[in-house]
Formats: sequence, C-alpha cells, structure tokens
Amino acid sequence: MFRIVNATGGYGKTVIIRDVSLHVDAGEAVALLGRNGVGKSTLMRFATGLIPAGSGHVEIDSVRAPVSPSRRAKLGLGYVPQGRFVFPRMTVIENIAVAAEANGHNGSEAVDATMADFPMLKPKASDLAGGLSGGQQQVLALARALAVQPRILLLDEPTEGVQPSIIDEIAGVLKRINRDRGIAILVAEQDLDFCLSIATRAYVMEKGAIRLETDRDRLKADKQLQQELLGV
Amino acid sequence: MEIDYLATVLLSSLSSASILLIATIGLAVVFGLMGVINLAHGEFLMIGAYTALTTTQWGVPYALSIPIAVVVTMTIGATVEILIISRLYGRLFDTMLATWGLSIAFYQLAVLIFGTVTPGIGMPRYSLRIGDYSLAGYPLLMIAVAALMALFVYALMTRTAYGRKARAAIQVPEMAQAIGIDSSRVNTLTFAIGCGLAGFAGAVLLPIVPATPSMGFAFVIKAFLTVVVAGPVTLTGSVLAAIGLGGGASITASFLTSVAGDAFFFLITALLLWLFPMGISATWRRKM
Amino acid sequence: MTFSEKLYRSAGLVFPIVVTVAALGAAGVIDPYLAYVATSWIIFGLLGLSLDIVWGRGGLLSLGQTAFYGLGGYFGSVVAINLGPVTGNTLIWSLPAGAFFGALCAAALGWIIFFARMGPLQSTILSYTLTLLLWSLTQSFQLDVGTASIGGDNGLSNIPGMVLGFGEKAETLGPVAVFVATILIAAMVYLLTRALMTSTFGRVVDCIRIDAQKAELLGYDVRLYQVANFAYAGAVAGLAGALFGAWANYLNPSIFSVQEALLVPIYVLVGGLGTLAGAFVGAIAIGGLSYWLGGGAVGGQTTLILGIALIFLVLFLKNGILGAVGDLWRRSLPDANAAARDADAVAIDPEVLEGLLKDAALQAGPAKSLATRDAFKRFGGVVPVNNVSRIFEPGRPSSLIGPNGAGKSSYLKTCVGIYTPEAGSILLADDDDITRAPIFQRVRRGMGVKNQKPQVFGALTVFDNLWTAAYARTRNKTGATEISEKVMGMLGFTNQAAVQASVLSHGQQQWLDIGMVLCLAPRVILLDEPAAGMTSEETRELSSLVRILARYTTVIVVEHDMEFVRTLEGHVTVLHQGEVFAEGDIDGLRANDRVLDIYLGRRAHV
Repeated sequence: MFRIVNATGGYGKTVIIRDVSLHVDAGEAVALLGRNGVGKSTLMRFATGLIPAGSGHVEIDSVRAPVSPSRRAKLGLGYVPQGRFVFPRMTVIENIAVAAEANGHNGSEAVDATMADFPMLKPKASDLAGGLSGGQQQVLALARALAVQPRILLLDEPTEGVQPSIIDEIAGVLKRINRDRGIAILVAEQDLDFCLSIATRAYVMEKGAIRLETDRDRLKADKQLQQELLGV
Repeated sequence: MEIDYLATVLLSSLSSASILLIATIGLAVVFGLMGVINLAHGEFLMIGAYTALTTTQWGVPYALSIPIAVVVTMTIGATVEILIISRLYGRLFDTMLATWGLSIAFYQLAVLIFGTVTPGIGMPRYSLRIGDYSLAGYPLLMIAVAALMALFVYALMTRTAYGRKARAAIQVPEMAQAIGIDSSRVNTLTFAIGCGLAGFAGAVLLPIVPATPSMGFAFVIKAFLTVVVAGPVTLTGSVLAAIGLGGGASITASFLTSVAGDAFFFLITALLLWLFPMGISATWRRKM
Repeated sequence: MTFSEKLYRSAGLVFPIVVTVAALGAAGVIDPYLAYVATSWIIFGLLGLSLDIVWGRGGLLSLGQTAFYGLGGYFGSVVAINLGPVTGNTLIWSLPAGAFFGALCAAALGWIIFFARMGPLQSTILSYTLTLLLWSLTQSFQLDVGTASIGGDNGLSNIPGMVLGFGEKAETLGPVAVFVATILIAAMVYLLTRALMTSTFGRVVDCIRIDAQKAELLGYDVRLYQVANFAYAGAVAGLAGALFGAWANYLNPSIFSVQEALLVPIYVLVGGLGTLAGAFVGAIAIGGLSYWLGGGAVGGQTTLILGIALIFLVLFLKNGILGAVGDLWRRSLPDANAAARDADAVAIDPEVLEGLLKDAALQAGPAKSLATRDAFKRFGGVVPVNNVSRIFEPGRPSSLIGPNGAGKSSYLKTCVGIYTPEAGSILLADDDDITRAPIFQRVRRGMGVKNQKPQVFGALTVFDNLWTAAYARTRNKTGATEISEKVMGMLGFTNQAAVQASVLSHGQQQWLDIGMVLCLAPRVILLDEPAAGMTSEETRELSSLVRILARYTTVIVVEHDMEFVRTLEGHVTVLHQGEVFAEGDIDGLRANDRVLDIYLGRRAHV
C-alpha cells in the first residue's frame, strides 16, 4: 500500500540516496537498518516530501503521492522525525490537537484517545513540550503522528537518546497499533532489538542504496550479518 | 495635589502605552507567527484610518466604520501576502525591504488620493477629573481597548484551531507541514489578521490621531522597536515592552520635554537590546 | 587566459577608472546646474559604498550609515567653519575630521553590536535606533562651537564651500569644479576601499560573512575584524557627510530622517550588493531618475516609482544591475571550476605529513593534553554532558564512541567552546584553564577543530581556504603560502587550487576542512565524525592520517563507526546518556556485553 520508487535525492547538489525502491504492505511492519550516514533519514524525508525529489516518486495506495508534505499527511502518512521536533512553545495537548485538526479530525477527541494510549503524558498534559525530557518528547512525537490518523507510520530513529524503559513502552505501543488498528509501519533504526521486536521484514541500507532485503528470522539467526551491517 | 498630579501622569502614561500597544499588536502577530517584519504596517494603520474617515464622511456611524476598516485592510493584506510576501519566506531582510517599498508606495498613493491635509473627526467629549486635573475620556478608553485586543489575540492564538496551526507553523515549519498543516494558507490568514489589526488600530485611534498620509511613519518605528525588543514570546513580550517603553517615555515626556521622552524610548531600546541580544523573552517559557 | 577573462578579473578597477575619466571629460561640457545636482549623487554613492562595506562584505544590514554620515557631516563642518579661515583650504579640515568622527562613532556602536554578539535582526534594529535617536535629539540640540552655531531644527548654516587653494586669496570652487573635485575624492576612496577589500583584511571579512564560526575556529578574533570593518565604513560615511556639508553649505536634522536612512540600502541593491562600485551605479541611477522625473513639493511620482521599483528589485533582480551584468558575463567565460571533476583520490604521503608535523612542532611547541573535570551541560530537560572527567594525551588517538544521542558531539562542543558548560572545568596542557575562554583563544593556544559537517568558505577557492587558515597562525603571507601549498599537495588538490570550495563534493570538502585544521599546526586536534560520508578508500586514508597525527599531537575523534575506530588502534571511551560508560581498547570493549547491549539496543544487561 506504500511504495517508494527509484528515489534519488539529497541536499543541494549532494546526492545522498540513489535509486532506492521499497514497499510496505497494508498492516505490515518493516525495518530500515543501516549504519549512521547511509541515508536512512534522507530516505524518510524523501518519503514525506520534505526534500525535493531528484527523481523517483512515492505511491500511497498505488496512487502517486502529491508533492506537498501536508497533502501527503492528509492521505494517511504519519511521520516521527529523528530529533523529535515537537512544537516547543505549545503544550502537550496543543501538540496533539493541532495534528488532528490539521487533517480535519476533532482535536479534543484526539487528545482523549492519546491520553488513553500514553498514560505517561497525562501528568504533563498542560506543560510546554519544550520542557519535557528527551524520552517524553519522543513519546509525544509519536502521539502527535498518531493523531494524524495515519495508515502508514514512518519513524526515524525513535530510540535515539531515550532511556530503556521508554523504549520498551514505545515498542509496545507500536506493536499494538500495528496489530489492532492495522497501521503499517516503516521504522529506520540502529537499535536491532527494537526493530526485531516490531518488524517482520527489513531492508538494509549501505551508502545510499538498499543492500539487501531480509526477514526477521534470518536476521536474528545471522550474528555475522548483524555485526557487519551495523558496524559493531 | 501632588498625588493628584502623579495619578494624572500615570493614567495618561498608561493610556500612551496602550495606544502604542494598539498600534503594535498587528505587527507583533505578523512577526511572532510568520517571522516577517512588515515595514508597511504603519501604512495599513493609515489605510484603516482613511477607511474609517471616508465611510463616516459618507454618513456611516463611526462605530460601524471600524469593522469596515478591518475588512478593507484584511483584504489588502491577504493580496499583498499572496503577491509579494509568500515569495520571500525565510528572507527576513528582503521582506523588510519589499514591505518598505510597499510602505512608500502606499504613502504616495494616499498623498495622491487624499492630499496631505485632511479633516479630523471630533473626539467624543467626555472627561475624567482627578482633583484639579482633567483628562480626556477617549484616550483613557484606549487602555481597555488595548487590553481587549491583547486578550482577543491571545484567545485567537491559543483557543482556536487556526491559532494552534499558526503557532506550530512558525515553531517548527517542516514538522508543521509533515503533520498536514498547509502553511501557505495559514500564513496568508495570519498576515491578513495582522493587517486587519493595524486597520482596527488606525480606525479606533482616529479621534486621537487624525488621518494623514505620513501617520504610518510616526507609529511604525516605535511599534517595530517594541516588537524586536519583545523577542520570540511575542504577545506577552510586546505588552510588557509597550508598557515599559511607551509608558516610560510618556512619563519622561511629562516631566521633561517630548524630545526627552523620545530619547528615553530609544535609549532604553538600545540598552535592552544590549542586555538581551535576542529580545527580552528569549528564555521565557510561555505560549504567546 | 583570454582578454575577456583578464578584463573580468580586473573589472572592479578598469571600469571605475574609465568612468571617472569619462566623467571628468564630460564635466567641461555639461550644464553647471546638472553638475551641481550630479555632485550630490556621487556623495550619495559614497554613502552607499559605506553600507556596501558593512552589508555586502561584512554581512550586517546597517541602517545607521546615515547616522555616521550626519555626525561626520556636522563634526567636519564645525571644524571647517572654525579652522577653514586659518588655511583658506577647507577640505583638509572637514574631510579628515568627518571621517575620524564617523569612524569613532561607528566603532562605538560596532563594539556594542559585535561584542554583545547580537543577532542579525537586533543588530539592524540597534543601528536604526541610533539614527532615530539622533533624529529626535538633534531637533532641539543647540551648541555654539567657536564661530559655528548648531541651532536644533534650524540646522547648521554658514558651512564654507570647497576651497582647494591655500591662503586668504583662495577662492571657493564653482559648481563644475566642485563636481570634478568630488569625483576625484570619490574615486580615491573607492580605490582605497577596493584595495582594502582585496587585501587579507577583506579576505577575513568575507570569511566572517560566509561562516563566522569557522572563521573563529581558525583563530581569528571575529569581533575585532567586524568592529574594524564597521569603523572603516563609518569613516567613509563621515567623509561623505563632510563633503555633503561643503556642497550644500547647510546641514539640518533631516539628514538623520527615516527616509534618508532607508534610501541607502536601495542604492546598494539597485547597483548590486557586495560589488562596491554598485553603490555609485545605484545612487546615480536613482538620482538620475528623480532628476528626470522632476521633484515637486510632494516629490512628484518619484516616491511611488521608487517604492514599486524596490519591490520588483527584491523579487526579481536580487543581484542588482552590476550583479546581473556580471552573471551574464561570467556565462561567456570558461568555467574555472571545471577542474573539480577530475580530482584525484586522496592519498596521504606519510613522509610529507610527518615533515609538516615536525615543522609544526618546531614552530608551535610540543603537543598539549586536554582535560575536562566534571564537565556538565544541560538543555532544558536533556543533559547531554553529565559530569564527564577525562584526560586526553598525545601518543595514540583517543576515540569517543557511543550510540546516537549519547552526548558525544555535545561533549566535543563543550571542549571547543561552542557550548559553555554550567559546571566543571576544561584544562589545556594541565594548567591552562580555558573553561571560559572564547573559541578563538582556544584555537590560538593550540586547539584545532573539525566539526561534523564540512565547514569550508564556499565562495573562496581551495587554495584561498587553506591560505586563510595558514595565515591565521603565521600572520605572514609567504609563510602561509608555503604551508598551504604543502597541505594542498598532500591532499592531492594541486589541480583544483583555483576551484571554488562550494563545488567540491561532500567528501572533498571534508578533506579540505581537515587540511585547514592541519594548516593551523594545532597541538590538540578534535575531529567530529570525520569519516561520515567518505568512501571506504577515503576512510582508510583518514585512518592512517589520524594515526600519524597522534604521534605528534593529541587527537580526539568522535565516531559512530566502530570499524573505523578499530583501525585507529587507540584508546576508546564509550559515552552513554551523557556519562562515561566504559573505556579501554577496542577489542576489550567489543567483548564487553554491556557495551554491545547499548549499541545493539539489547536490554538484557542494562
């Protein structure tokens, strides 16, 4: 239901990803693995439309996605960026409400649903997002992306700088929304355990291209591959 | 009697500060929510004043001419945003220069249409007495108007979906787009609201400040300094900066000379910018 | 090199001289009234030039140039009124006095702006505030100085005209002679400015505009250069003001008005920002236009046309007249950057490198250690550096590793001085406390830094990038040339010497940046993810470079890539959530389950 076709792009004249194609089926959870600097984030930004496409395109439901990021969001593309980027001078409630409202959903309903999904945000509901800890901001960024009511959720390094207990919580939520609501997931990560706990299939990137496609069991079994790919 | 005099000075200074705030809020909205310095802000104020003046001359009641002025300035503002500002996002100094060009073009058009001298409309006649001193009522009313405007903008930006979108769009522009906010439409509306607030200011201040083509210059400079001193938490910052700078200047002026008042305003601005290079609210944690 | 190329390179010299000569020739035949009016355009051109120095070269849009212009005008004129009668000649008094006072006032304002490190918008506004302050103050400012009488909004009258001869019989020049004299003065100021801007000083000013942080990381005291440049521009503005006083014989506070202040950027934009000569083109174009359209009491339609023209300029002709002509011309010239495409792969020659490092040790002394004691840094709710105490010494490379978000880069930035720690201290060579020292001081005391993204001065050539770095340390042109040629040869950039750094590939820019650090002969080198974006071949070369460097200096490498760290064969510190998590050599750490856990995200042992 979600495809990236022959993606080529980068920043200015610097081409970072070259001719990358991948797909995520409806309700599937897929991991995008690879070392730092191989172009995972660039591919994610390409998928959301935040960097101009050098060539290639994105398809949502077999239809070519529009250029504008905001229209892609309305088609059901949710995005959790690397570095979280919550709206710092807005409260937790406002961060969630604005994401729902921008796509024509009811803001206060979205806030209620979020508080049920993420009880840890409840005591912080009226705090400004800029004052939250790194882990709380990460959860808020995820909650904000879910308020868009996406059908495919892109996550870029959701475990970066987050303490282990919250990583577990995030993994739990992702598994649940994937299973119960059928939201497809594409997660770019370096944290192997995290990926293996969510995704059934994985792409491995190297130097701006997809090096191979594999499934959970093969990756779990192959220690050699793990070390080589993640540069450990 | 000394107390009476002091009270009079304080009240009239507060009313001067309020007038400054009324003239500033539109600029603060546009700067705070779009990162754009609109140097033609004063001319929108002037357009508002002339609209109110012209419609009252046609027989429309003054109270009704104010909303008309708001609509006119909002429409012009939206057009300007679509034709000029939207092409210059992220280029702070280019927008400053382009809006300055717009400002002198509007000024000159006003000279062509209305000439340099225009009749004022009379100030509503009621006044307040404190001991031996008497204060005109309408300028005092501006204290309430300024407070209401600030509350209105605060409510608009924190209680409505539009306001949340506008704030999100300025805080993290990329993520705002990625969660589905159509920034260009939000920006057009924000600029129009900023211009509408200027139009409102021009109309509501008409009894105090008669409409002239150059009235914009007089206002925009102080308004502009107020907003820059205020920094990123625009609304609260602007309110405090307007009271401190405008009120302080007015108090200085009533004890010394009007030139001393202006000098006070500019000196304190320079001092504040020196102490707070990114504006007084740079480290505040507030919504607006 | 073709004639066209040669001419293009010296266009800033040839054309202004040709135009000056032509204008001098025309002076004999034009109408005296036109000559009188045109004189003011040239004076405005000088005022525009002063803004172009500050804005086009220095990068600060100053709306205070008319303040220095007015202050210089008033001061120069007061001096000329009093002392002119002594010599007969008036210009030898008014021009130096105006320039001096303009420079003094600009230096004072510049000191506030640049030493407080104000943001660009705040700087612009502060300069504007100065102009406005003067406008309101001068309305009622009255002062008698000798025979000169400044009378508030009545202004200062009786300013003597231009007198070039000496003695009592010297006569005031007529309009055509004033025109000629003004052209000659303007031409001299222009040529002086151009010489200054093409000198090392101008080079550093350009670098600061392009990337102030990198300029400071090379050891330049950025603020001092900015203030000096601002003061020079103030001198040019003050001199223009004094000329204006002599031309008009009268000055009043309207010289400080908003309209005056905002006209200056228009001159510069119309002519072409950063071109220096463009200021004159713009002033003459606008002056000529106003003259042609004719100004009535309300200015005719000139104001309207100017306003609309400004909008169109900003929207469609960003580079102004000279900029557009230059772009067209450049297209017809061969591309100097073509050589970027056939660059060789970098191959570090250990012997050349060791030779460089031995020279560096001779000149800059032995390697220095770097230590932090309980360094602590927080941002809101995040603590990226949490009481880190480490000492780094020469001999073999030290690496800092850790998963994303572990605080590696923040720790490095704290050492460099980009972040100031809330607590703890940073020591260079055991006893030199640099915790509060500004970045350039740390660099001058021997710190060399390469940040994660390549920082090169894109508009400068490869050679000039290296030279600017070498000059920052040697302060000697021949010495700098020698060093930068060696480094350039070692990096294999010899054929790309004249290529603009901005057209190099990402990897090449990384090498150029490393080369610039080497030119500084640092005693401690900090590299933030130097291997990012490099090919495996380049990574190998980098590894051998780092190992050799570590024999002569202290080297600290922040890296993500464990494989690269392994090839360095050095000491490794693992950071996790802002704290030191483990340390040792790489093989020991690779066998450490706790380290693998945080890297792989396994949570069994954490």
